[in-house]
Amino acid sequence: MKNPNNYSHDPEFALEVRGLTKSYGKVKALGGVDLKVKRGEIFGFLGPNGAGKTTTIRCMLDMIRPDTGSILLLGIDPQSAPVAAQTLTGYLPGEVQYYDNMTAERQLRFYADMRNGSADWKYVQELAERLLLDMKQVIKNLSKGNKQKIGVIQALMHHPQLLLLDEPTSGLDPIMQQEVLSMLREANAAGATVFFSSHIMSEVENLAERVAIIRLGEVVETAETSALTGRSIRRLMVRLKRPVSRYSLENLPGVDVLAGSDETCFTLQVSGDMEKLVKVLGDYPVLDLETDHPSLEESFLAYYKKN
Amino acid sequence: MKRFWITFRYTFRWFRGQILGWGLGIAALGLLIVAFYDVFGERQADFMKMIESYPPEFLAFFGTDANGMMTPEGYLGMYGFSFLPIIIGFFAVLAGSNLIANDEERGRLDLVIAHPVGRTAFFFGRAFAFLGAQISILLLGWLGFCIMLNGSSLGITWSQMALPFVSSLTQALIYGALALLLSMILPARNFASVISGLVMVIGYVLSSMASLNENLSTIARLFPYSYFQGSEAFTNLNLTWILALLGASAVMMLLAWWRFVRRDIRLSGEGSLGLRIPFSILKKTA
Repeated sequence: MKNPNNYSHDPEFALEVRGLTKSYGKVKALGGVDLKVKRGEIFGFLGPNGAGKTTTIRCMLDMIRPDTGSILLLGIDPQSAPVAAQTLTGYLPGEVQYYDNMTAERQLRFYADMRNGSADWKYVQELAERLLLDMKQVIKNLSKGNKQKIGVIQALMHHPQLLLLDEPTSGLDPIMQQEVLSMLREANAAGATVFFSSHIMSEVENLAERVAIIRLGEVVETAETSALTGRSIRRLMVRLKRPVSRYSLENLPGVDVLAGSDETCFTLQVSGDMEKLVKVLGDYPVLDLETDHPSLEESFLAYYKKN
Repeated sequence: MKRFWITFRYTFRWFRGQILGWGLGIAALGLLIVAFYDVFGERQADFMKMIESYPPEFLAFFGTDANGMMTPEGYLGMYGFSFLPIIIGFFAVLAGSNLIANDEERGRLDLVIAHPVGRTAFFFGRAFAFLGAQISILLLGWLGFCIMLNGSSLGITWSQMALPFVSSLTQALIYGALALLLSMILPARNFASVISGLVMVIGYVLSSMASLNENLSTIARLFPYSYFQGSEAFTNLNLTWILALLGASAVMMLLAWWRFVRRDIRLSGEGSLGLRIPFSILKKTA
């Protein structure tokens, strides 16, 4: 029985989460998470600490049992057929812990054995070389970043169809972060669906095609990354030939005059429509005007501020 | 089945050091005890004098009296078998409570269980490796007790010597199963090992003292140690007790499995008992 849920699986989606709730005593960790990730998509999962990212991912792999709701990974319910779901999935936890007395190679061989021969050892060696991981080192002597590399390799070692990654670049230096992101892009190009959570907005912005924002255990926004960064807020720097009263700009709807502005140089944050501001600025002697494309981080923060 | 064997193989390999340490320790003890029996016989009068000076409460802990000690069974019982279940029991309690909960508390279980191994195969792979480790330790110990046997005047055969070890195995199994079950129920493996250890030690003390105070024997019978057969197993091994202890261990093992496949895997660290009542009252009144 692969899908005992009372709804049909849409083959377009690699991951479907519906109405997922989970409480720990009186603490509600998840309050009805809904997610749909298309096959072959790179999907970012954003949220601050304690928002429910890790709980959602751990429910997906049957580490924890949700109170209500359902999950389908590649059409498989992980609660009724966890082994089938785990066979097709590569998982990287947020905080990876290993058997400290093993070498990196021994640990990876252990994970490969746990995969029952489906791991590609040549690929493991190739990944280790790319990540500059010394496989002969005992794990207790490795830095946090090097331990993270082992986690990344074990998640990719069997060419999974679905990758569930909880902060995959955590603890890595910028060069290795880029290398891991390249690996994820390559896995995606080879057909894998990538679902990852991250705190690093630039990383999500660069990698993810779509993102979901989770807040207090509920998904508050799911959108294409480009749409999310293209909407909400913009930052404008306006330089004027002569001084203008701050009041005339401050009173416009959706316009905030940011700190550091003076009467001839304003830094403005504009949310929503720019039309009114442009009209007002038309009456002033504008020397220069600069617009910043809002980053995902700004959109994310604005979303949290708003809520 | 393959998934079970992978877990079994790795877990048993991790037990290698403990098997050698505990097994060779018991073997060395056995070697000495058997080797010294003839010396003991030669200086029987001196030993009798010394033993008669011991208080009966002290001798009760060795499950014998001054006269009983002069027989091969009494000698082996006093120096070897009276505390053999406690020695192997300590291993069983520590290894049983650590078997799964240690990886969980250290945050390793999350990733291991995320691999396609299945909780049932994982649980029984580990549980049977634990059983294998207990058998291996006792096998090494038994060999240690047997090596010098032919050259001694004890008059006990190798197969007879195996009988107290069979009884010790049932003791180790029940303490190990209890520790494993408690580690699946309680929020911390430390609680599990403390409670199982207490059951073992209290049972030992009560059973030993019951020979001096009849009133204690009723309570002592509630503890597994009462059903341990040391040197009395040479002549009269009680199979009902053996089977009852095996059955109780199997039930606890199954309950531990039932709990493990149903519960959430903790990310790392110890859980909580959730006993908030007294503190919340204090907080409110403050």
